[in-house]
Amino acid sequence: MADPAVVGSGLIGSGTRSSGTKSSSSPSENYQLARRRTLQVVVSSLLTEAGFDSAEKAAVESLTEMIQSYITEIGRYAKNYCEHTARTQPTLSDVMVTLVEMGFNVDTLPVYAKRSQRMVITAPPVTNPPVTPKALVAGMKRTHPSHIPTHFPEFPDPHTYIKTPTYREPILEYQIVREKAASQRRDVERALTRFMAKTGETQSLFKDDITAFPLIAARPSAIPYLNALLPSELELQQLEETDSSEQDDQTDNENISMNISNDETGADKENNVLPQGGSLASAKANEENMIDNPYLRPVKKPKVRRKK
Amino acid sequence: MPVALCWLVCLQVLASHTLSAATGRSVHKGHVELTIFPTVPNLNRIKLNSKQCRIYRVRVNDLEAAFIYNDPTLEVCHHESKQRNLNYFSNAYSAAVSAVDPDAGHGELCIKVPSELWKQGDELKVLKVYIEFSLDQPKGGLHFVVPDIEGSIAERGAHVFSCGYQNSTRFWFPCVDSYSELCTWKLEFTVDAAMVAVSCGDLLETIYTHDMRKKTFHYLLTIPTAAPNISLAVGPFEILVDPYMHEVTHFCLPQLLPLLKHSMSYLHEIFEFFEEILTCRYPYSCFKTVFIDEAYVQVSSYASMSIFSTNLLHSAMIIDQTPLTRRCLAQALAQQFFGCFISRMSWSDEWVLKGISGYIYGLYLKKTFGVNEYRHWIKEELDSIVEYELKTGGVLLHPMFPGGKEKDNPTPHLHFSIKHPHTLSWEYYKMFQRKAHLVMRLIENRISMEFMLQVFNKLLSLASTASSQKFQSHMWSQMLVSTSGFLKSISNVSGKDIGPLIKQWVDQSSVVKFYGSFAFNRKRNVLELEIKQDYTSPGTQKYVGPIKVTVQELDGSFNHTLQIEENSVKHDIPCHSKSRRNKKKKIPLMNGEEVDMDLSAMDVDSPLLWIRIDPDMSILRKVEFEQADFMWQYQLRYERDVVAQEEAISALEQFPTPASRLALTDILEQEQCFYRVRMLACFCLAKIASSMVNTWTGPPAMKSLFTRMFCCKSCPNIVKTNNFMNFQSYFLQKTMPVAMALLRDVHNLCPKEVLNFILDLIKYNDNRKNKFSDNYYRAELIDALSNSVTPAVSINNQVRTLDSLNADVRLILEEITRFLNMEKLLPSYRHTITVSCLRAIRVLQKNGHIPSDPSLFKSYADYGHFVDVRLAALEAVVDYTQVDRSYEELQWLLSMVQNDPVPYVRHRILSMLAKNPPFTKNEESPLCSEDLVDHLWKLMNSGTSHDWRLRCDAVNLYHTLFGLSRPSCLPLPELGLVLNLKEKKAVLNSTIKPELGATYTELTNNPALHGQMIIFPNSFSNSQEDEDIDMDTVHDSQAFIYHHLNMLERPSTPGKEPPTTDPVMVSMPATPLSVFGKDPHPTSKHSDHHHHHHHHHEHKKKKKKHKHKHKHKHKHDSREKEKERDRDQIAFPSSPASGHSIQSPSLSD
Repeated sequence: MADPAVVGSGLIGSGTRSSGTKSSSSPSENYQLARRRTLQVVVSSLLTEAGFDSAEKAAVESLTEMIQSYITEIGRYAKNYCEHTARTQPTLSDVMVTLVEMGFNVDTLPVYAKRSQRMVITAPPVTNPPVTPKALVAGMKRTHPSHIPTHFPEFPDPHTYIKTPTYREPILEYQIVREKAASQRRDVERALTRFMAKTGETQSLFKDDITAFPLIAARPSAIPYLNALLPSELELQQLEETDSSEQDDQTDNENISMNISNDETGADKENNVLPQGGSLASAKANEENMIDNPYLRPVKKPKVRRKK
Repeated sequence: MPVALCWLVCLQVLASHTLSAATGRSVHKGHVELTIFPTVPNLNRIKLNSKQCRIYRVRVNDLEAAFIYNDPTLEVCHHESKQRNLNYFSNAYSAAVSAVDPDAGHGELCIKVPSELWKQGDELKVLKVYIEFSLDQPKGGLHFVVPDIEGSIAERGAHVFSCGYQNSTRFWFPCVDSYSELCTWKLEFTVDAAMVAVSCGDLLETIYTHDMRKKTFHYLLTIPTAAPNISLAVGPFEILVDPYMHEVTHFCLPQLLPLLKHSMSYLHEIFEFFEEILTCRYPYSCFKTVFIDEAYVQVSSYASMSIFSTNLLHSAMIIDQTPLTRRCLAQALAQQFFGCFISRMSWSDEWVLKGISGYIYGLYLKKTFGVNEYRHWIKEELDSIVEYELKTGGVLLHPMFPGGKEKDNPTPHLHFSIKHPHTLSWEYYKMFQRKAHLVMRLIENRISMEFMLQVFNKLLSLASTASSQKFQSHMWSQMLVSTSGFLKSISNVSGKDIGPLIKQWVDQSSVVKFYGSFAFNRKRNVLELEIKQDYTSPGTQKYVGPIKVTVQELDGSFNHTLQIEENSVKHDIPCHSKSRRNKKKKIPLMNGEEVDMDLSAMDVDSPLLWIRIDPDMSILRKVEFEQADFMWQYQLRYERDVVAQEEAISALEQFPTPASRLALTDILEQEQCFYRVRMLACFCLAKIASSMVNTWTGPPAMKSLFTRMFCCKSCPNIVKTNNFMNFQSYFLQKTMPVAMALLRDVHNLCPKEVLNFILDLIKYNDNRKNKFSDNYYRAELIDALSNSVTPAVSINNQVRTLDSLNADVRLILEEITRFLNMEKLLPSYRHTITVSCLRAIRVLQKNGHIPSDPSLFKSYADYGHFVDVRLAALEAVVDYTQVDRSYEELQWLLSMVQNDPVPYVRHRILSMLAKNPPFTKNEESPLCSEDLVDHLWKLMNSGTSHDWRLRCDAVNLYHTLFGLSRPSCLPLPELGLVLNLKEKKAVLNSTIKPELGATYTELTNNPALHGQMIIFPNSFSNSQEDEDIDMDTVHDSQAFIYHHLNMLERPSTPGKEPPTTDPVMVSMPATPLSVFGKDPHPTSKHSDHHHHHHHHHEHKKKKKKHKHKHKHKHKHDSREKEKERDRDQIAFPSSPASGHSIQSPSLSD
C-alpha cells in the first residue's frame, strides 16, 4: 500500500524538477556560462602568474572546477555560520571563521592581495541574474500573521497544505445519478454479454440475421441445481454490504470470497475471523459430540470372524 | 378370498427385510426374508408383489420353492394391435391392476410353499420365505441421479432414492405392496463408503465391509409399517442435525449445507404446532428429511422420513420460495401422522388420510400465515375442485364396489377406473386430495374443531398403543383407518350424526351449482331471494339442506339460515332496516366494526348493501349471484372477509364503470387490505380500464399509484432503489406492472406510455441496497413485457425478418436478450429470469413478431438444464406443436416422454400435451395419424409400465386426443377383418391345439425365456384361489385369463432348470404372433376376432346398458369361448412375465 505512494510522489517530484530546469533554460545557462568564463580567466591569470605559458584545456577545466568548489564551499559555510547566529546576511567574521575552519591562514590573505604581480581581471559581463521561474500559483498565498517576522519565508501555495478540490463539481442531482448508474450498468452488461456472445456459441432468434440479438447458447450442466440454488458471489457481496450483522451465519468460504474483493481492512478481518471460525467450528464439534445422533457416530469396523 | 386373507395376516406378525443395495450405475442386488405366521391352515401359496426384479431363487424354511412370476400390467392388452379403443384399454388395465392387487391378496409373484411344509401350515408354524433377487437398471421405483462428470461417485453427487405414486415399493423389492399390510422392518443397505443410506426407522449401526470400501447401514423399524411407506435414499449427503431437535436429521446434496441450514431453521415450529394440536407426540423416534435432485414429486412422506425436492432449498435472500418451502415441510409432517404412522384399510379409505393430513395442514396455514391466507386458500381449493368437477364429471371420495360389478361403476363419466389408485389420472388424484380436506373442513364446521381434534387424537392414541404391541396382528389393525371407523369415532366423540354430510360429499361425487338473484319488496320490507340449482349438468348434484345467507343492511349485517328444499327456490327474508337512511349514522359490519360509508350510490328504496350466499363455504358449491354493481362495490370496500372481496372483484369485471374503478383503486391503496386481494384488484382494474378505454381519463390505470408508492418523490419516472422489507408492498410492486401491461388502448395495443414505464422500471432497477434478491421481481417485469405484446399487424405468410421488426418489440427483445444472456453469467435463483425470458420469446413468436421456431426451446429443454427452465421450454414446444401443427415436434416430445431420464419431466410433458393438445377428439387434424395412435397406444400399453403416473398420463392424453372410442383416423376395422380372415385362416384353424403344444415346447426350450418362466413342480388343483378370480373383469383382461389358464392347464414344467445366469435378457417375440414364425405383421385374425367380439359386446351393451359382463360371457357360444381361450393360450408365450422386460414386445420391433 505504501509502495505506490512512494513511487507516485517520486514521479511527481521528478516531473516538476525537470519541468523547472526546462522552463528557465536559456537565461540561467547564460548566467552560469558567464561566471564560468570569469573563473576560467581567473585560473588562467593565476597560472600565468605562476609562470605557465600554456595549459591544456582539460587542466584548466579541472582547476576551474576546483576553484569553483572551493568558493562554493566557503559560501555555504559562511551562510551556515551566519544563520547559526540568527542572521541572514553573512558578515566578514563569518567568512573569516569559515576560512579558518577550512584550514586557510587568514593572515596571509592581505599580503597576497597586495602582491605586485597581480593581474587585474575585468569584471564579468553584466548578465541578468536568472529569473526564478514563477511557481504555479494556485489560490492566494497567505500573508504572515503579525507574530511571524516578515523575514520568514512566505507561506507556500495553499494547495500544499489545504484540501484542494481537483475534481469537477460533483453531480448531486439524484435523477442524474440514477440515470448514470443505470446506463453505466446497462452498458457494462451489454458489452459483456455481447463479448460473451461473440466469443462463444450463440443461438439466434432470426434466421435472416443471426448476429442480431445474439443469445449465448444454452449449455447443459452436469449438476444444474447448484447454479440455480446457490446465491451468486455478487449477491453474497451485496448482502454483506447491506447487512453485516448477518455475517455470522455465513460460512468461512463466503468470508474468504469477501476478503478477496476487499482491501487491507479485509485482510485484517480475515486474521480476526479465522481464529474465531476455528473456535466456532470446534465448539460446534463439541456440541455435535454431545448430540447423540446415529448419523454422527463413527462407522464400526467389521467384526473379525474368529470361528473358522 | 380365503387364501389371500390368510396370507395378509401372516406378514403382519413379524417380518424382517434385509436388503443390500449397491449404488453405482443402477445395479441393485438383494434378498428379502419374510417371516410369516400363517393364521389359516393349508397355506400352500404365498403371493407377493414385485416388479422389475429378477428373482433368482425362493426358499421357504430353507427348502427351495417353486414360483411363478407374472405381471399383467407390463403389457395391458396383448396382441390387440388394431384394437385402439380406450374404453377397452381402461377395462383391461383396471383388470390387470386388480389381478395383482395386494389388497385383494394378489401379486405378481406367486410362491408355492413346498409340500413338506404343508403340515406345518396346519399347525400354524412360522414360515420363513427367503427371496434372492436383483434389480438391474430399474426404470421406475428407484431413481438414480448420476451427473456425468469426472470424479468418484460421491464427488459427482450421485444419489438414488425411491419414488413412485401410491404403493410403488414393489418396484424395488418383493413385498406385499399394500397400505394395509403392516409389519416391522429390519433394513440393511450396503453402500459405497462415501455414501449415506437414509431409510425408515432407527439407524442402529453402520459397519464397514471387510474390504473397508463399503458400509452397511442397519435400520430397525419397530413400529408396524406398510411396505409402501418404506423408502430409501442413498447419496453423498451432507448431514445436519437439527439444532432444536436432535432426533431430527437433515440431509442434502454436497455444497448445499448453508441453504439447508436456513431452510430447516423453521421446522421445529411446525413440529411443535402439530404435536400441540394433536396433543400427541410425533410417533416415530426420529425424523429424517432428505433433499434430492430430480424429485418425482416435491414432497413424499414415508415412515419416519420425508423425501423432498432439492429445489425447495433457499437462502435467506429469497422471499417467494420461503412460504412455499414451509408449506411443503408442513405437508410432509402432517402426512407423517396421517398417512405413514396411521395407514389405511383400503383404497376407498384413502380420503380419510388425505383429508385429515390436508386439514391439519390447513390449520397450520391458518396459524402461520393468518386467517386471510387460510380463507384465500380454501377458496382457491374450492374453486379448483368445482371447476374440475364441472368440467370432467365428479370426484368420488369413497368409491364403493359392493359386488365389484361393472354396472355399479360409480363414475361412468370418467375414462379410467377409480377402483385402484394406479388407474387414476394424476389431475383427478390431485383434486381428490383437495376435495378430501375440504370435506374434512365441512365436518369440522358441523362438529366443531375441538371435537375434530379429539377424534384425531383418539385415532393416534389408539394407534400408538397398538404399535407398541408385539405380534398381535389384531391390535395392529388399530393403526389402519377406515371410513367406517373414522365415522364411528366422530359420532362417539361428538355425538352428532354427520350421515347426511358424508352421504352428500363422500359417498357421492359432484358439487352443487347455485344461481342466485333477488328482488327487494319495498312494501313488505322483505328481500325476495331466489336460489336455483343446476343439478342436471355433468358434475353437479342436488343439494337439500340448510344454507347460510348473509345480508348486509344499513342497520347491520344479518345471517339467515335458509332451507333448500326440493321444490322451493324462493325465500323471503325480512329486512331489519328501513330504506330511509340516516346520513350521519355509521354502519355496523359483521365483525362489529362501524364504518362511515358514502351511500349515494345506493338504491334509494332499498336498505340492502350486499348479500352473500354461503359465505363460510360450507357447501362444495359454485355460486353465481346477481346483484347490482354498486352492491359489489360496497362488498369490495367494506366487507372484511377476503373471500367476499375476491368474489366482488371477479364480479366487478362485468361492470366497467368509473365507480368500479374508484372502488378498485381505493382497495389497491389501502394498506390494511390483504395483499392478495390487492393483487387481484390490479388485474381487474386492468381489465375494466381496457373496457372503458373510450371514457378513461387521466394517466393509465395504476401508473400514478405505482409512482406514488414506489417511485422517487423528486423524479417520478425513476423507481426507488429496491427495498423489499415490507412483503405486502413487495408483492404489489411485482404485480402491478404485470397487470398494467394488460392495458389496451383504442387500437387494442398496449399504450406506449405503459411500455416505456415498464422499460424504465427495468432500466432503473437497482438492487444494490436490498437485503433480498430481486430475481422474482425482475422475472415479473419480463412477464410484464410479454403481457404488453399484441399480435403483429402483417400480411399473411410474410416471413418474419429483422427489418420488419416493430420498434417497440425491438426494445422488448433487447431487454430479453440482455436478461437471458446475463443469466448465463450471473444466474438467478431457480433461473426465474430464464423461465420468464423463454415464455416471453414464445409470446413474441406466437404473436408473429419473430419467426416461430422451436429450436431455441428444444435446446433449453435438454437434460442438464434446471428443471424449471426445461419445463418452461417444453411448454413452449408444446405450444408450438399446437399452433403450428408440427408432427415433427410432437414426435420429438413423445420420444422425450419415452427417453428422458427425469420422471417428473416425462410426466409434465404428457400433462402439458393433454392440457394444450395439438388437436382434440372432435377435430380434424393432419397430426391425427395411425402412426401417432400406434405410438401412444404402445406408450400406454407397455411403454410406461414402470411408472403408474406416467401410464395414467398417457391414457389421459389418449383420451384428450381420440376420446373413448376408436380413433377416427384408423382405417375401418371391418376391412381389416376381411383381409385378415383371408390371410390368417390357417392360424386360427382347429390345428391350433397341436400347434399350441409345439409353441409351448419351443418356449420351454428357449433358454432366453426360462428366467421369466415358472417352475412349478406341482399343480394346484386344490387351490381355493380359482374361486376368487374376479369373473367380471376377467373377461376384459387377457392378461389375467392366460395367467389363469396357464395355471390350470399346464400341470407341470418338464425339467426344472435352474435360472440361467442372465435370465432377463428376454428377447421377446416381436409381436405375439411371431411365435408362430409365420406372420410378423401385427394385423391378425386374433385381434380382429377379438374386435369382432368386442363389437358384439358393445352392441349388447347398447341394448342393455348395464348388462352384466359375466352373464354376457356365458351367453357366448362355446366355440367363441374356446377361441378366446385359444387366443389367450397363444398369447401366453409373449407374456412379458419377466419383470425386467419393460421394453414391450410391441415396441421392440
